[in-house]
Amino acid sequence: MLTYILKRFVQLVPVLFGITLACFFLLRALPGDPATLLLGARGGADEIAAMKQRLGLDLPLWRQYLLFLGDILSGSLGRSVVYGQPVMSLVLERLPATLWLVAYSTAIAVVLTIPLALWSAIRRDQAPDILIKLMFTVLLAIPSFWLGLVLVVVLAIWVPLFPTSGYGSGILSRLHHLTLPAFVIALATASLTIRSLRSGILNVLGSDYVTTARAKGNATSRTMRVHVLPNALISSISVLGAHTSWVIGGTVVIETVFALPGLGSLFVESIFARDYPMIQGLTIVFAVLVVLINLATDIAYALADPRIRLD
Amino acid sequence: MRMEGCKLPPPRQSGQDQGISMTTFRSMVSAAALALSILGPALTIAPSTALAQGVLKLAQTQDLVSLDPIATSDNPSIHAQLLIYDTLLRPSTDATKLEPGLAESWTVSDDGLTYSFKLRQAKFSDGTPVTSADVAFSLKRAGSDASSWKRFFSGIDAIETPDERTVVLKLKKVFTPLLNNLALFSSAILPQKAFEAAPDKFFEKPIGSGPFTVAAWNKGQALSLKKNAHYWQAGKPSLDGAEILVLPEGNSRVLKLQAGEIDAALEIPLNQMQSLGRAGTVKTAVADVLRTDFVLLNTKKKPFDDVRVRQALNYAIDKQGLVKALLYGAGKVANSPMPLMAYADPELKPYAHDVAKAKALLKEAGYGDGFKTSLLVHSGRPLHRQVAQALQSALAQIGVTAEIRLVEGGTHWSTTKAGDYEMAVSYASSDTIDPDQMAGFLIVNPERANAYHTEWKNERVNELYEKERATKDGPERGAMFKEMVELSHEGAPSIFLFYPGTPYAYRSTVSGFEVLPTGNFRLEDVKLK
Repeated sequence: MLTYILKRFVQLVPVLFGITLACFFLLRALPGDPATLLLGARGGADEIAAMKQRLGLDLPLWRQYLLFLGDILSGSLGRSVVYGQPVMSLVLERLPATLWLVAYSTAIAVVLTIPLALWSAIRRDQAPDILIKLMFTVLLAIPSFWLGLVLVVVLAIWVPLFPTSGYGSGILSRLHHLTLPAFVIALATASLTIRSLRSGILNVLGSDYVTTARAKGNATSRTMRVHVLPNALISSISVLGAHTSWVIGGTVVIETVFALPGLGSLFVESIFARDYPMIQGLTIVFAVLVVLINLATDIAYALADPRIRLD
Repeated sequence: MRMEGCKLPPPRQSGQDQGISMTTFRSMVSAAALALSILGPALTIAPSTALAQGVLKLAQTQDLVSLDPIATSDNPSIHAQLLIYDTLLRPSTDATKLEPGLAESWTVSDDGLTYSFKLRQAKFSDGTPVTSADVAFSLKRAGSDASSWKRFFSGIDAIETPDERTVVLKLKKVFTPLLNNLALFSSAILPQKAFEAAPDKFFEKPIGSGPFTVAAWNKGQALSLKKNAHYWQAGKPSLDGAEILVLPEGNSRVLKLQAGEIDAALEIPLNQMQSLGRAGTVKTAVADVLRTDFVLLNTKKKPFDDVRVRQALNYAIDKQGLVKALLYGAGKVANSPMPLMAYADPELKPYAHDVAKAKALLKEAGYGDGFKTSLLVHSGRPLHRQVAQALQSALAQIGVTAEIRLVEGGTHWSTTKAGDYEMAVSYASSDTIDPDQMAGFLIVNPERANAYHTEWKNERVNELYEKERATKDGPERGAMFKEMVELSHEGAPSIFLFYPGTPYAYRSTVSGFEVLPTGNFRLEDVKLK
């Protein structure tokens, strides 16, 4: 296992190198540059030129790229044009909110998925199955900002169980604050995982080894736990992994509705301001996180199905 | 990177329901229920953020970028800086004149080249006195190469400090807007010693002589301020502190205000103002800020090089209708690109909504059959997207087909700056109360923006601009501004739309909270019941 993890980290190097190239040059292809946008209405031609020189934007592209690589190796990821601080320290300020949200929403999604998918599969084409399918199809179609606001009105204003927004401090307060946003994300994740797990279970239920297990006289619950679920989980783990990767950078709407200081909104703001070092740095951080989640997904495969060997 | 995870497995049919008993399912559900019941109590513990007595919780749309006054231009940063630092002078709350700040009095020599300021007995939040050396240091810094606002201090030739409480500024050339620029946030007075002791760390917890000082800044969440015990206005502020929260979503701000989690909020969605005010627990207000919204016309491109076309477009729009429908009445029709500020001419009537006249002007200019053009719109501004829709249909009535080009903010700015547009919805707002800055930006060409990238040029306006800057402030200078505004009204470098107000709201337990015409707010007079 350890060699496998190490191997994955070595594989990360070429991936990251490719990402630095792509994001560096794609960014420069966008209209507008940080100096012009930062100076805004105050910028005359001479002021913009001076600012470009100060930011090193007047250097040839290849030298800017090498400087960027140097910033990565030094660990600071460069200095944000807008905030004037090292990108790494800004990322570290925002990272916890994102990680909390990722972990909490994934946990809720798993808690929702397993029983509901089982119920759905067991009661295939009966009322519960149809109801679950209907409900989660509707949830999948509902825009998350609307669902978020409705939950706030119902569970924070009418019945004040949760705060309307914010992040809290301390573990309990943080969990309390993040319940509604994590729930909104979890519902979107669960809409996908319930469907995939349900079809996985139905598929496995028809296989010979389940019949054998039942013929041996196993209790139904044991059959489900030992034989059906582990075999059915694989595809759902993939779906969960892919969706979790999305949550890392794709929760701008949730962050906005619930006023959470996550990485998604920082990323979008940085793009609008053409804060090159910030965008580049965040892209690297996102890439590393996605690779880590993929790694976790692979480990989860191996845990769910011992036939999958990682080494 | 892994790709297979992106695909959903195809739905598969399996054999019949295997007849798993209900007990399996129940055991699973009860396990989940157990998990939730363990978590449950933890989740419903109320947050320990009960309102401390005397701390105002105020929500705004974005976090500030930095507390360094020479490096920022975003409103949240400016507003926070104005609570933490003092300037020598400051605009009065009604934005009509300059009033004493750290300087208790000042004189300008008859030749207009020497400004002397007498500092009041004031202390920074660390207890050290504010001296003339601090003022000299701060103003030099504001005019240095590192400053984004250098331009506004370039008129200062030398700064002298004859004694601890006297500062003398020497100019080479008369520059009347100087006093006004000294009231700008970027002229904030910083403690030289504390800054030089740790220039890199200073702005994380800066020291100023303003009514509040930074207690904590949780990026992306809130800036916590506490009362500056050494503040020079005796007995103020009455608040123990203020918490400026970041709540980007308009509905969230309204909900929190209704729930009593915050005391005041800026930028209330206009369509919710009425219902919010009806409950009685929340008061709503609209601040007349110094801002104009307009449609820039690229006078370098045909047919906008013809003044008759530009005037026709101004006649074609029902601007009063826009104020009613899009601003819910919270604004006024604009008569020029300049905001309604000092020396504005109340007699200057906006262009009337007159489609017949618009058509006649177009015909006279040789565009009787109308023309095709494009309209650049900032996609991140909902108001401007609505404006664009309304303009499109209004212009269609005079035969002008405008194609809407929706682009993101950075592209909008750089496209306009490059002159690569025909019409562009935009706006300008002023941080200062003297019209000099706005005039230089909006109607003077050549200047730094060449009449805000419309390239409109009027020699008389340029001449007046030079003259105004060298004329002592008073009615004579005021008449110059009036003439400039009138010329820009006639020359129509843009379609002047409206002066929108800034909607805000606060709970009825708050008294003395007001958004000022400069867009910021002072909190030293705010009280909580």
